[in-house]
Amino acid sequence: MKDIIIEKNPKKAKAKFDDLFLAREQIIKSASKDAKLHDSIKNLTNTLHPKNIEVEVTKIVEETKNVKSFYLKRKEGETLPNFEAGSYITLEIKINDRIYKRPYSISSNPKNTQEYRITIKKVPDGLVSTHVYDNCKVGDVFTISGPLGNFHYNKIRDEKDVIFLCGGTGITPILPMIYELLENQKVNSILLYYGNQKKEDILWETNLEELQTKYSNFKVKFLLTEEEIENYIYGNITEEILKKENLNGKSFFVCGPLEMYKSLNEIFKKLDIPNKYIRHEIYKEELENLLRIEHKLTIKKENQTYTISCYENETLLTSMENNHINPKAHCTVGECGFCRSKLLSGEIKTEISSLRKKDIEMKYIHPCVTYPLSDVSIELP
Amino acid sequence: MEYDVIVIGAGNAGLVSALTLQKKGKKVLILEKSKMAGGVSSSFKRGIFEFDISLSKLTNYGNEENKGEIFHLFDRLGISSKITMKELEHSFHIIDKEKKESYTFPVGIDNFIEQMEAYVPNSKVSMITFFGLAEEIRDAFNYYNEQQVKNTEDLYLKFPNFVQLAPCKTKEVLKKIGMPEKAIELLVATSLPEKNEDENFVSFALHLENSIKFPSVIPTLTSHEISSVLEKEFLNMGGKINYFKEVEEIEVENKMVKKVKTKDKSYLCNHVIANISPITVYCNLIKKEEVPKEAFGLQNSRDLGAKCITVYLGLNKSPKEIGLTKYQYIILNSLQSEKEFKKMNQIKNGNLYATIRNNGVEVSSREGTTEITLTSYFYGRDFEKEVNSSNYYEKKQEFAEFLIESFEASTNTSIKEYIEEIEIATPVTFNRYTSHPFGVVKGFNEKGYDNFLSRYFTEEKETFIKGLSFCGGFGSRASGYENTYLNGEEVANKVYEECMEK
Repeated sequence: MKDIIIEKNPKKAKAKFDDLFLAREQIIKSASKDAKLHDSIKNLTNTLHPKNIEVEVTKIVEETKNVKSFYLKRKEGETLPNFEAGSYITLEIKINDRIYKRPYSISSNPKNTQEYRITIKKVPDGLVSTHVYDNCKVGDVFTISGPLGNFHYNKIRDEKDVIFLCGGTGITPILPMIYELLENQKVNSILLYYGNQKKEDILWETNLEELQTKYSNFKVKFLLTEEEIENYIYGNITEEILKKENLNGKSFFVCGPLEMYKSLNEIFKKLDIPNKYIRHEIYKEELENLLRIEHKLTIKKENQTYTISCYENETLLTSMENNHINPKAHCTVGECGFCRSKLLSGEIKTEISSLRKKDIEMKYIHPCVTYPLSDVSIELP
Repeated sequence: MEYDVIVIGAGNAGLVSALTLQKKGKKVLILEKSKMAGGVSSSFKRGIFEFDISLSKLTNYGNEENKGEIFHLFDRLGISSKITMKELEHSFHIIDKEKKESYTFPVGIDNFIEQMEAYVPNSKVSMITFFGLAEEIRDAFNYYNEQQVKNTEDLYLKFPNFVQLAPCKTKEVLKKIGMPEKAIELLVATSLPEKNEDENFVSFALHLENSIKFPSVIPTLTSHEISSVLEKEFLNMGGKINYFKEVEEIEVENKMVKKVKTKDKSYLCNHVIANISPITVYCNLIKKEEVPKEAFGLQNSRDLGAKCITVYLGLNKSPKEIGLTKYQYIILNSLQSEKEFKKMNQIKNGNLYATIRNNGVEVSSREGTTEITLTSYFYGRDFEKEVNSSNYYEKKQEFAEFLIESFEASTNTSIKEYIEEIEIATPVTFNRYTSHPFGVVKGFNEKGYDNFLSRYFTEEKETFIKGLSFCGGFGSRASGYENTYLNGEEVANKVYEECMEK
């Protein structure tokens, strides 16, 4: 290759070359010696996504027979992070000296960052919900996570006509979405099908009716499975009910008990509605026919090894929590990936849909949705 | 001492340097603040889709017959056979929005020169010269690298072109070698947003040659595949990684590293490799009185690299049905790189980089679906000025919508109606997960006195604290997968020498 000549004189060329680094030295010398990092993005990140927040219960409202709402305010007086309607927080709770983390949807209007409301139903076998329902008092202090989750209306992806389908406390992430979409005029129309067993179980019935009066593009239809009352649809949401609506170009948001997802999925399939139009709040597949058969669970964490009992009808996460081992966890339904751990040995039953392809190959699991079928050994991150 | 070396951060460079040292018999501990390895070299799931967070393509890789530097590196690390790479067909596909023209360049230097000649007649001789110079620059770097005692005295005799070119700007050299204007425009366009015609020729030439000489690849199972394999290899060699361990302090005494502290533990250690930004280290992790003033001077004199908005889309139509045939689209308002580079001070600047993953790995997502990533880079402080905590979620949507519409208009396709999953990353997202200052994704800007060449040749002089080294996107090779992998190994070798000195 022919040489190119920029500086003929080798000495000068060499001097220019060396000058490059001398110039750098000079610039460094004359630069500010300020030792503080003024990172405005970091401030924004900390405001929007704090890892933990200390909150105080400021009000408790008995909504229905088994459902209570808890109003949470930041302990340090400031406002809480803005959140996308549909988000949840993880509540950390101590029961008999053991720490449990459970997700609860924020059921309040997202424009209110003074306080969050979470709404909890007391379920017969629910250790945490029962504990909170029975024992939590005004003035109690909790640690919660920042707002999390992916169950949101997205105006780029979702349609301008929305149908919400929910049952029981499944209304909790939906209500903030309704507020947000109506108040900010993000959609053309909203139709809400809200199912419960009895009229007395309906959450925020008056609020929803008021919204219906205020916004002409919002309609709510209540369904009751155990009571026949005029103007209330009797039974579950069926294909026939949905077929009465024009379903083309509509987005569906679903949140409710497991049976509801199952039956709605069948209906959506029959009606040929593509997945793109259906958003689900995540839920845990309940494992039928699993018995309380005991196995051994060995856990490796850093340099420690623990061995505890686990049961076929209990997730590995719950077994660990029951035994004072507290892996990081948020969603408890296999989505957030926080508890991602390595399976070293043993037979398990688990939900793999939220695992990365390489993680499946390398035998990673989410303990929050994993049930043991034999003695199991895992390694926590 | 329990560990010879502590690596802070399990990003690309951190993993490679830890593995290199562990293989050489050193005891290495990685402290990682998050739940898994990889940093931005990872993936996430939404519905049925798995999106690569940041890798568009891995250049300088090649294949079994024609190995690039990264392939050789992965051989040395013992991982090349453990990752399934897929070769990409083209080196670049550029769309000029203003002129409504597009240019597709093949892989391999000879093919590239031929294609350029087809687009720009009479460019051939200058293109041959250009790649000749790039070769000499590479040789000069390698020569410098292999020297035990670094000195620049005999560089001029061995590599006269390199020494002469080092102070020159890109456009100046390309003009000097008689390259036609249009060829210059196209050549420089391939390297936006990081490099423009006003910047150092040496780093431009190296970077470009890397992307053309060998076929670029992508891992079949996303960059998470590479990170997982690196992590596993490191653990198999006896290395240790602790997750959820954020380093809170590096204890320094008499300008020497003594200890590394996390919230609940303290580790005696004399060698630390920081795979995090030096700004964070100097400002937040070391007691101020222990940091020499020059260290702050250096950090304050630098410009942070580009930030970005990335939109990840899962579509319920195949690329074919949509009419997308290429793997990557570099979409520019015009080929006038100086103008476009300046425009990147705005968030909505119209220049964007689109990756259609299924056109690289067909089975990337289910049949009849497509994974698209759209990224737009920008500089400056507009984001902080425009965005606050109450409009954040709205603004995110606005930026994403702009990118989607720009993409549709310039590729003449329609994708919006097929979106099944969408996720949007902003500087806040990157800051949240990586702690990069200001959420930048391109380390420090390679600008003027702070280009790759200058960083390289002053590295030794700028070691302010004994036992503290830096690697990664904020390191001397600058950002990018190839650079950080190579940098990880270089830093490890240097630290190994330091360990052996005692």
